[in-house]
Amino acid sequence: MSLRAGSRAIGDKSRIQSRRFWKGRPFHARLRTAGFLFVLPALLFLLIFKFLPMLDALRLSFFKYDLMSAPVFIGLQNYHTLWNNPLFHQAFWVSAKYMFGVSIPEWILALGLAILLNRRMPGRPLIRLAYFFPIAMSQIVVAMVWKFLYNPLGLVNNLLSYIGIDRVNWLSTEATALPALIAIGIWRGVPLFAVIYLAGLQSIPREYYEAARMDGAGPWQRFIHVTLPLLTPTILFIVVLSLISAMKVFLNPLVMTEGGPNGTTRVLPYFIYDTGFAYFRMGEAAAASMVLFCFVLGLTLIQLRLLRQGGPS
Amino acid sequence: MSKPAALRWGGRLITVLTIAGIGLVLLPYFWMVSSSLKTGSEVFELPIRWLPEHLQWANYPNALSRWSFGTYFLNSTVVAVAVMICNLLFCSLAGYGFAKFRFRFREAWFILVLCTLMLPLEIVLVPTYLVVRQLGLVDTYAGLIAPLAVDAFGIFLMRQYIRDLPDSLIEAARLDGCSEFGIFWRIILPNCKPALGALAILSFRDTWDQFLWPLIVVSKNALKTFPLGLAQMEGIDSAAYHEIMAVAVVGMLPAALIFLFFQRSFVRGIALSGVKE
Repeated sequence: MSLRAGSRAIGDKSRIQSRRFWKGRPFHARLRTAGFLFVLPALLFLLIFKFLPMLDALRLSFFKYDLMSAPVFIGLQNYHTLWNNPLFHQAFWVSAKYMFGVSIPEWILALGLAILLNRRMPGRPLIRLAYFFPIAMSQIVVAMVWKFLYNPLGLVNNLLSYIGIDRVNWLSTEATALPALIAIGIWRGVPLFAVIYLAGLQSIPREYYEAARMDGAGPWQRFIHVTLPLLTPTILFIVVLSLISAMKVFLNPLVMTEGGPNGTTRVLPYFIYDTGFAYFRMGEAAAASMVLFCFVLGLTLIQLRLLRQGGPS
Repeated sequence: MSKPAALRWGGRLITVLTIAGIGLVLLPYFWMVSSSLKTGSEVFELPIRWLPEHLQWANYPNALSRWSFGTYFLNSTVVAVAVMICNLLFCSLAGYGFAKFRFRFREAWFILVLCTLMLPLEIVLVPTYLVVRQLGLVDTYAGLIAPLAVDAFGIFLMRQYIRDLPDSLIEAARLDGCSEFGIFWRIILPNCKPALGALAILSFRDTWDQFLWPLIVVSKNALKTFPLGLAQMEGIDSAAYHEIMAVAVVGMLPAALIFLFFQRSFVRGIALSGVKE
């Protein structure tokens, strides 16, 4: 092999000449440079469009800035304004309700669905296909379809009228708007998380179940003593992932309820968007972004910690 | 003898329930397609009209021509394909660098990359807009594409996959006098097609789906993407649900086709996103 490389190198002198600088350096240093050059373009992109904006958000949160005039340093004023802004408090609680309202049912239903889809049954690939198909659907299509379904004259009310329930204007009644959005979140999230659970379930060796069966464990005991412990990393991952993705929800409140009625569906990202791009209070929006970031950071740290404790290694 | 029989029937019952659950998941989509072929009044009829009396194919051309959906689709496609190509290229380059090379601060850089997973657009919305504005990219294709062009998850995915490729492949090519980039292009890329496939599909779907970023960075009608167009149509034409559904059906076709053709890659990609180190 090395002989062949050698003869080729001799036959290709000009190429060697042009690469003398490169070839002149020690082999390992060359590899180090090459490795760094491979990651450099991606790093630059992330630096410009992720880290720079993040640092900028932190800086901006101490300034008063409306896009038109120059930013003015005002210290912690933005945070103070937020703290005293009842709309911010409302958005905070709406986000919290939405997050847990969507995530907790998702954890349970998605696990249930994954267990069902992991059973041996006729037509299993086709059944899985049908359940996983909605994952591919675009959010805006989902939002439009559900707005149509929730219409006062729409399918949901028509179906309910068969069992004698009066028409409800789901999206413009304070008591029902947020639950209506939560229902969509669950409906959309369950198949997605079921895919991840299913991958976790499939990685559990079959022998463990057979050993448990030999010891006389019933289905429920096998679930408690084999499935749950071995699935713990997947469960923790899904807990955090579902919370973070529910925290980011924005499209549905924007196009379905416009944050209403009376702000009952104005989630935190919506509040940030409104503050920044409707009222041009960029500093205050950045301050609210920092608060949101702290939550994501906190959740991620909790996840890392739990993974380290609960992980097999 | 009676217990196994009971068990078998219990199992069958669960199977039937599993199949019935599909209805719950797919009903909204069925209703969307069926409504897109109804007349405006059939859509809200009671008792519920599950299927249109006559298929109203004209809804499709009517709805699509009234708004500039041709432009919106073109824009969405251009942006989604560009973002996909950028992600495939940059994420596999970086994934290869992180997986198979040693260089100073490699672990630190990699952790930094993973940290950006905690910075979704929703959080860095305002400053990202300011950066793009500073670069003069507001209301341009580049402005639509650039902030989405590299996704840390893609780097993670490619690194995990390339790490499992045997080092001997690379060393053999190096001894053959292949350049470092040549190794990447001719040896690494062809060997990680499954990961590239998953990444391509997830990236295309996420970008096709993107609503928030185009909403902020684009104001010209000529640059609007499909999600913006659909939301705008619904905002103005909110009574014409049969036509809105027709546009929605067309809008879900790319994602649906990709899913049906590449469902293995698709499901694998999503499952991989749950695999942590």
